[in-house]
Amino acid sequence: MFGFRRWCLLALSAASLLCVDAKSSTGDSVLVVVDPSNQDKYSLFFDGLKDSGYKLTFRSPKAEKPVVIADDVPNFDHVILLAPEARNLGKDITPQSIVQLLSLKTNVIVTLPTKQSPLHSLAAEFGLILPPPGSPLISYFPQRDTPSSLIPIPIEDHSSPALTKHIEPVWFSGIPQALSTNPLLIPILRAPAESFASETLVTSGSADALVESAEKGGEGLWAGSALAAVTGFQATNGARIAFVGGAEVFSDELAQKEVAPYVKSGNADFSREVAAWTFQENLVLRIDGVEHHLAHENTTVAKEQYTNNDNVVFSAYVSKWDAKQGRWEPYSGLKDLQLEFTMLDPFIRTALPPVRATPGKYSTTFRAPDRHGVFKFIVDYKRKGWTSLQSSTTVPVVPPRHDGYPRFLSAAWPYYAGAISTSVAFLLFSTAWLAGEARDRSSKKAKGSKAE
Amino acid sequence: MIFSPVAVLLLAASAVQASVLTLQSPKFVVTDALGSQLRAEPFSLVHRTGTPVKLEAKDTLKITFQVVDKEDGKGVQPHQTFIRFFDPSTGEEGIQPIRVTGGGKAKFELNPSKPPLYLPPTSTEPLKVSLIIGTPNYDPITVRLFDLILPASQPAPTHPDEASFHVRPELHHTFRPDQKLPPKAVSLFFAGLTFAPWVVLIGLWSQVTPRLTHLFSPSILPFILSLVAFESLLLTYWVKLRLGEVLLYGAGLGLVTIFTGRQALSSISSLRKD
Repeated sequence: MFGFRRWCLLALSAASLLCVDAKSSTGDSVLVVVDPSNQDKYSLFFDGLKDSGYKLTFRSPKAEKPVVIADDVPNFDHVILLAPEARNLGKDITPQSIVQLLSLKTNVIVTLPTKQSPLHSLAAEFGLILPPPGSPLISYFPQRDTPSSLIPIPIEDHSSPALTKHIEPVWFSGIPQALSTNPLLIPILRAPAESFASETLVTSGSADALVESAEKGGEGLWAGSALAAVTGFQATNGARIAFVGGAEVFSDELAQKEVAPYVKSGNADFSREVAAWTFQENLVLRIDGVEHHLAHENTTVAKEQYTNNDNVVFSAYVSKWDAKQGRWEPYSGLKDLQLEFTMLDPFIRTALPPVRATPGKYSTTFRAPDRHGVFKFIVDYKRKGWTSLQSSTTVPVVPPRHDGYPRFLSAAWPYYAGAISTSVAFLLFSTAWLAGEARDRSSKKAKGSKAE
Repeated sequence: MIFSPVAVLLLAASAVQASVLTLQSPKFVVTDALGSQLRAEPFSLVHRTGTPVKLEAKDTLKITFQVVDKEDGKGVQPHQTFIRFFDPSTGEEGIQPIRVTGGGKAKFELNPSKPPLYLPPTSTEPLKVSLIIGTPNYDPITVRLFDLILPASQPAPTHPDEASFHVRPELHHTFRPDQKLPPKAVSLFFAGLTFAPWVVLIGLWSQVTPRLTHLFSPSILPFILSLVAFESLLLTYWVKLRLGEVLLYGAGLGLVTIFTGRQALSSISSLRKD
């Protein structure tokens, strides 16, 4: 039995070596805070990360070093807190320091304990409402041999933007989280509809306790598919944090447990996907550059200022991080990118469709408003799970110069006719005067000479 | 007797699965504000009630049943007896535990005039109502009962930033309308009117032809040409030149004109003295 398990692990790690490794866009160093006695329990998960190129540093919750932040500079690119049973995680890992880690663009995976802990107040900071201590998620559905607190949760394709592939049902054991309406929250794994949070020891008073807690109003009852078992949060600076209801999701035992006859659970895939989203491998975008110019045939040079009613072409170049290749690739898959032309309030908001010929280029032409002022081209793209794209280019729009107005109007033809007639008449008159004879004098003189 | 371990397991499993719950006298009643019954039907765990239940603002829906063990008919108080309202079009969900006595008797009441907090906001589709019963050592029950149509409610509250995470409506600027010009026929007509004096002039000239005898003499022609050049400089300025350029050309031309003019006018004055 022991030999069989060992052989299974060896085969799995050999297979994972053949897998394509997926790299993070922000760095490879990961700090894992885990009790050394439990470290083997998560060996499949750690090996999966190591095969993808991450450099894991393990630290016991009781140890002081290595420190996560030294002198306001983070020492690691990513942090995994896998010690929910520890009372405290070290002097330098507190809710405030985790928030500071996020503001320094370090991504964090946090596993929440069932009992009361400072991590509960951290989760509350992010709009997650946790059930009272000691009440994990339990479900009597589907009927199974495992205890009611170990729940197989099926995952529908495209149920969460953070999961990019099909995943078999996942074994989950831990606490659920109720979500506030904050749009920065991304539920990654929703609890099943029949599940609820309750103490695992069922006594005769448990049913009444449930009814009482619900009648308290507000968040008295944690139940149903509005709860999430694993939630992600993407901060406005792009850093991501994932709150996982329990550490068992990552364990080897659940990764190898079957959800249906001959169907392995999706825990290994799911853990890898959660790490992939949190560590900035998937769904990471950036704007490479923007440009703007007049819509004439042969100009692509940006003008310093535009005039009212000019036709302006604006283009943005967007890339997506390709985790398999480990580099940024131009990405034309954004269907709903929008451009705003703003002076205090958006004057124009139009769609930026992708250009077929150039991958990654999104372009549109619009007419500058006939108000003059200092405008901004603003691209502000926020979607749940994706990095937010922000770009702002300031450009003045000036009224037309004295010779920028329409000329040679049809209404002015009489005036043109009159002025040109005057010039021509002047020329004819001066020619006639200069070139002509003074007839009186010459005829008088001729007469006079003839008379003599 | 030798029992194979698998057979023993199967027997044990079937013994566990024999614990089944069922509902005794399940029914729901819709009464209006005055107390008269609008609809009273039993519901079943096996098939769904076909017609949706419609509740007006002052009506009351009451659901009663008793949870019993199927084998011996004794009342059971399950750990989990929930009623779930789900709207599939918006994904909103509301769950409420039903109070069940120790003997398994359950009663649930819903009055839209005092809407409880867990009710999801309404949309165009009816709410799907299901019953979830779960307890240790018994088979769990989850069954759809009926569809519920409630009076319309406010939509669910959203975070103020939520709109910026979706496509936002397009904005267009209304431009000032283009300048309106009078019809070209009118302009042509009046341009033609300004040419009327030319007609008169040409008519008069046909009678009295001016004789340009000195036109091609070398003292007069250059001056005439520089006058023509000045006029064409003026025309070119109007079409495409700038002030600086025209002053430059004008200065050059002016210098030339001084000399040609002196020559021309002095020759004319000498001609006329004779």
